[in-house]
Amino acid sequence: MILSRFIAGVRKASEAAGILAAAMIGVSVLIVCHLVFTRYVLRSPTVWQTELVTYLLVGATLIGSPYVLKIGGHVSVDLLPHYLSADGKKRLAFIGSLAGIFFCGVLLWSGLDLWHEAWAGRWLSETVWAVPLFVPYAALPLGFGLMLLQYVADLAVLLRGEAETP
Amino acid sequence: MSPLVTGVLIGVVTVVVLLSGVPVAVGLGVVAISFLLIFEGPSSLTLMAELFFGKLDDFTLLAIPMFIVMGAAIAASQAGADLYDALDRWLSKIPGGLVISNLGGCALFSALSGSSPATCAAIGKMGIPAMRERGFSDSLAAGAIAAGGTLGILIPPSITMIVYGIATETSIGRLFLAGVVPGLMLTTLFMMWALFATWRFGSAAVRERNVSYSWKERFQALPKVLPFLTIILAVVCVLYGGVATPSETAGVGAFLVIVLVMVIYRVWQPSALWKIMKDSTRESVMILFIIAASGLFSFMLSSLYVTQSLAELIVSLDAGRWVLMFFINIFLLVSGFFLPPVAVILMAAPILLPIITEAGFDPYWFAVVLTVNMEIGLITPPVGLNLYVINSIVPDIGLPQVLKGALPFMLCMVLGIILLCIFPQLATWLPNALMGVSQP
Repeated sequence: MILSRFIAGVRKASEAAGILAAAMIGVSVLIVCHLVFTRYVLRSPTVWQTELVTYLLVGATLIGSPYVLKIGGHVSVDLLPHYLSADGKKRLAFIGSLAGIFFCGVLLWSGLDLWHEAWAGRWLSETVWAVPLFVPYAALPLGFGLMLLQYVADLAVLLRGEAETP
Repeated sequence: MSPLVTGVLIGVVTVVVLLSGVPVAVGLGVVAISFLLIFEGPSSLTLMAELFFGKLDDFTLLAIPMFIVMGAAIAASQAGADLYDALDRWLSKIPGGLVISNLGGCALFSALSGSSPATCAAIGKMGIPAMRERGFSDSLAAGAIAAGGTLGILIPPSITMIVYGIATETSIGRLFLAGVVPGLMLTTLFMMWALFATWRFGSAAVRERNVSYSWKERFQALPKVLPFLTIILAVVCVLYGGVATPSETAGVGAFLVIVLVMVIYRVWQPSALWKIMKDSTRESVMILFIIAASGLFSFMLSSLYVTQSLAELIVSLDAGRWVLMFFINIFLLVSGFFLPPVAVILMAAPILLPIITEAGFDPYWFAVVLTVNMEIGLITPPVGLNLYVINSIVPDIGLPQVLKGALPFMLCMVLGIILLCIFPQLATWLPNALMGVSQP
């Protein structure tokens, strides 16, 4: 019961992350238009647009990733599973999930570390706009944290499926 | 362990991991992290997040999601069908005109979308049923669309060219230009084969059936297509006039296309617009994630001196430059059979480029050769993306039939690579003429 709730909760969170990422890309389109208008039509210097859209791009990628994982949108090549028995397939998927959890875990840990350093050290980006870097860096622990949870949820589904069909 | 032995080990492990069904991006990351952990110790892993972030923190990359939004907006509309319809009306007099219109439609749509599966789906949905209805064989109809769709990554704007530009720090505008003439050449080769196949193997019905359109009907088909052709032209002019960067051009292009799709095709319902954004997000995140993870992978390779040793080894072999190019082509072709183009480019291009330029090849010419190799991979099993797109459009044409139809087009592409090797000017002439000779 708790497990089902956990799985459903993670899925909802990933879905929400996907909406946020899509919104970031949508906003980027508008900001780029504003940038082009300011730079080429008004001939004024641009201060924040380039940096903001770049951070939005990083943010959309990291935060959108759990959503893309959930819908199976991260491209993969399942040539080996093709030659395995149903049991073998499951075992391979199990190992694959563990590998994913390991990857997300390392990046979550290293991302938290970076985020904390930027926060504690009051790091600013080396531009005119001087953004406090802990803001864009927050996408790292957020994205990888949720992606880790999504992997755990997928793994739970996989294992539960195994329990149901002995 | 010498770096080369490590390299072989990494190569084997990477192949196994990537073929095991884990996402390509995650697989690259896991291999990178594991080897760093084993050979350099846990301290090297603290850098991972910063490297991942740093790889994405690049304004140039923005061109990728922007062009994807542009392509997704067009794909969500009836533009593919209209384009196809207009071409059909104009080319109905030519024998085998329908298959020619389809290939032409693919080439034009490529110039709008930058993606092969999108091109395949947009033209194929209309084109394959129409061709079958008028008596073309299943395999020719499906094969032509599968092959025509691959033009998406060669004719600008092309997502894979942007990825190549980022991986090798070459000019994206120049890469786009380098793809134009080879793209037209491949389109022509495809059309020649299609005409030949229709003439030689086509049923009598195809040859005799004459659908004719009046000039009025022909002109009526134009207005819907013109705005998009105008946008392509505008994108091309802005990009090559050196006015704006690819990211800026793509962003404005995406905005204009969304507006046009809303105005002309009345795609303004929130659900339809949301679908465009959702599809674009999926595609963009997938590609950008591979780019960032490949950053970890190439960091690992150069930390363990694999990249450098491999380059030294190849140089020390002192094989003739064309022998070298032959083996590189074989390597790319085989990699393309198994891996998506973006992954191959990100892993191979940074390693190969120094070797290529050392041997006196032009990096822009090489980008085209590499892309044509990747195009072949798109229509060969086991992971030929276009084959699966075709399969989902017309499930009743079996995969073997599609493959049979696609095979001659694959040979056209091999011929294209050979022509590119004999006449490198095919790729280098246009960028040199418009942007000046490149300084390697």
